[in-house]
Amino acid sequence: MPRYVMVIDVERCIGCMACVIACKKENGVADGYFRTRVVEEVRGEFPYLRMEQRSELCNHCEIAPCIDACPTRASHRAKDGTVQIEKKKCIGCKACILACPYDARYSTPEGVADKCSFCEHRLKEGKSPACVETCLGHSRIFGDLDDPNSEVSQLIKKYDASVRLEFAGTRPRVFYINKKFAGGL
Amino acid sequence: MIELSITGTNAITFPHLEVWDWRIVIYLFLGGLSAGMLVMCSIANLRIPKQPVEELAQCVRAPFIAFIILSVGAQFIILDLGAPFNLYWGYLTFQPLSLMSWGTWGVPAVLFANALYILAVIPNEQRHRLRFPFLIKISEKLVPKMRPIAKLNFAMGIFLGIYTGVLLSSFAAIPLWNNATLSILFLVSALSSGAAMIVIIAKKAEIKFLFTKIDIWLIVAELVVIALFFYGLYTSTAPYKRAIEPFFSLTSEHFIFTIALISIFLLLPLALRIKLGELKEFEDGFHGEFTRAQIFRMNFAAILVLTGTLILRAAIVYAGQLTKLSFY
Repeated sequence: MPRYVMVIDVERCIGCMACVIACKKENGVADGYFRTRVVEEVRGEFPYLRMEQRSELCNHCEIAPCIDACPTRASHRAKDGTVQIEKKKCIGCKACILACPYDARYSTPEGVADKCSFCEHRLKEGKSPACVETCLGHSRIFGDLDDPNSEVSQLIKKYDASVRLEFAGTRPRVFYINKKFAGGL
Repeated sequence: MIELSITGTNAITFPHLEVWDWRIVIYLFLGGLSAGMLVMCSIANLRIPKQPVEELAQCVRAPFIAFIILSVGAQFIILDLGAPFNLYWGYLTFQPLSLMSWGTWGVPAVLFANALYILAVIPNEQRHRLRFPFLIKISEKLVPKMRPIAKLNFAMGIFLGIYTGVLLSSFAAIPLWNNATLSILFLVSALSSGAAMIVIIAKKAEIKFLFTKIDIWLIVAELVVIALFFYGLYTSTAPYKRAIEPFFSLTSEHFIFTIALISIFLLLPLALRIKLGELKEFEDGFHGEFTRAQIFRMNFAAILVLTGTLILRAAIVYAGQLTKLSFY
């Protein structure tokens, strides 16, 4: 099975928010709710300011606290290694939302937990997630980390990509590349 | 200087988590209270001489009240569920790493043990109130087994008291909660509130006096553990150090938590002071009945303890959700 990861090259993000909208449209996300977000972060003191546009989403962690927290196995690891939610099993206890260090989950108007699924239904058809497909600047790159020739493997190796909150020990599968903006994660 | 603007946030997670509210606070409070009551009335019932075993239970109403309190508390967590009709999935599996799963199975188990306790301690003359003949038969069979059932309920009470704390401390993403001291703090405060509640409901002066003495030690322990809880976080890494800021801040957003902490440190020592006064009054031993003024004072001190316990849980639950591992 492939080991899906996403690489986000923050220097290529133009902040168009097309990924946010594509995700909502593709997954039928309810009004006022989001599975992915774009953080615009400005650091420093004027005139020495640096800005980063950073997409954030579920990290599909290899050591996922949300799976441990779930009392019904509604949150589970799929065969392709991604973290998924079986909605009919979710009791809406919100433990997984509290357990996620990345604030990637939310509660839907129906009361169950929801988050980015890496567009699981698209992966089954051999397509990339909708946010990757729509990304104008090719900031979001998706692929199989187990394939040494894949673009994600090459990028992670070349740029020594980092992950968010590495000290949390969750081994995220969303990697970030930003050569100019150290310590932004 | 860091400036953030985020497109695509969910209100439940930003600017801070708004996931668990007053319903969880009530659940944790009532769960802890019933846990403390089960432990305390087991102590009272296990103190009596081993022979003869029948009809000697000293603490007969507490298990019944603990049962009602826990049943009501459990309703609050069901009320908090987003999809309560899916709850049966929780009973089709057991997830040892999920504290919610422990609660799903643990609370009914405690209620079952508690029900056995009620039947085992009910006095002969009250047994007809059970109405159903099969319950009366079970009760008659359980009376000689009161001691092992009391021991079981002691253990179940400790489990439930610790559980209310571990439930919160298992969340590594929330620095204020992710601290092993929290489970000890919740256990001690659960025991203290249980002792306070027994003081309020007990009719026998001897029992009231016994639990007043026990509560003195528990309040001292609770105050020490609260101090250690904050000290442990203060000496930890940056996210954990940041996590205690709400309790020591005078900003409008956090002031309520500072007030909560001050209240806890006023209410509990005041209760302690009153209880020590009672102890001094009866230091040459207790004889006869308490006066109405003495009973009022005991109950007042107990209510202070219960209020402190409720404030503690509310403050920890709400303040915890303001804290994160990341800086936003």
